[in-house]
Amino acid sequence: MISALVLAVALSSPAPSPPAAHAEEQHDSGHGSPAEILMHHVLDRPLGLPGHADYGGLHFEPTRHLLFFVIVSGLVLLVVRLALRSYRAGVPAGLGSAVEGLVLFIRDDIAEQNIGHDGRKFVPLLCSFFFFILIAALFGLLPFSATSTGNISVTMGLAVVSFAAMQYAGISKYGVVHHFTGMIPPGLPKWLVPIMIPVEIVGLFTKPMALMIRLFANMLAGHMVITVLLMLIPIMAAIHLAFGVVTIPISLGLALFVMLLEVLVAFIQAYIFTLLSAIFIGMFAHPAH
Amino acid sequence: MDSKALAYFAAGIGAGLTIIGGAAGIGRLAAAAMEGIARQPNAAADIRGAMIVAAGLIEGISFVSLIVGLLLVLLK
Repeated sequence: MISALVLAVALSSPAPSPPAAHAEEQHDSGHGSPAEILMHHVLDRPLGLPGHADYGGLHFEPTRHLLFFVIVSGLVLLVVRLALRSYRAGVPAGLGSAVEGLVLFIRDDIAEQNIGHDGRKFVPLLCSFFFFILIAALFGLLPFSATSTGNISVTMGLAVVSFAAMQYAGISKYGVVHHFTGMIPPGLPKWLVPIMIPVEIVGLFTKPMALMIRLFANMLAGHMVITVLLMLIPIMAAIHLAFGVVTIPISLGLALFVMLLEVLVAFIQAYIFTLLSAIFIGMFAHPAH
Repeated sequence: MDSKALAYFAAGIGAGLTIIGGAAGIGRLAAAAMEGIARQPNAAADIRGAMIVAAGLIEGISFVSLIVGLLLVLLK
């Protein structure tokens, strides 16, 4: 069930690449201003793979982030399958116990705590979010790879799925009309209600948008810091070779420290995305009255 | 000053101001968490979890202004 929903999340968030960004960033041999090299490293780039489509003004092409999105989704499915296979007579071993620990944590402390007694329906979705974001972030630390959640299209896809889950939670329990009228808290004076309606509607959209920007900016900023620290070496070497050599251990040490911090941030951001999705779903499944 | 120079200037000042707010907020949060753990050591795990969540939310807000700064620098 988890795998079906991971696949649904993966297929529901395509990552089209805007053509304007690629017209400016040609894959040169690495010469260019530091800002260009930084952006070249961190932003999305089309690969030379076959297959593209043009619909209207959008140009779809396999890009780095999309490739790693697919690889990470496959890896999540693989990890879950291997974990399931390690069950012997109902007791998991090794990878299975790690995955089971995380799934139980999501079920008990995130889903049931925030959504209540019908939280079990949403556990597969929340597990999909958590494992995908975690493994995408950890995968992006390997050399020659890219963090697919560092692309705003990918995080927008995740936020759209979260938004759909929030609406599903409210509409399936209360029906369309009552779901929307139930957003206005009861017991308000009459003149306040016309003000609350646009506030609630805007709030409906800003919550997933905040999720999207938070995850995207965390992943992007982490990779930019690592790239900038490593780029200090050629910058200092351009001034004088000795400076460059001296900068190597400092820069590598700092970059290693920031990579370790990125591992921690990966866990925290996956947890926060999942937790906030669960809180918002709970807000619509159990409104104030 | 032409507009590009103003944009860089604004991005730098914006980043600095943001980090003041973010660091002040997280500093207060960490102080309150330390005090709570000192008063009740057996609630340390709960307090730590709540602290991490709140720190993540505050950082999320500060990252929004990071994006604004990046847009100022990178767009023409």
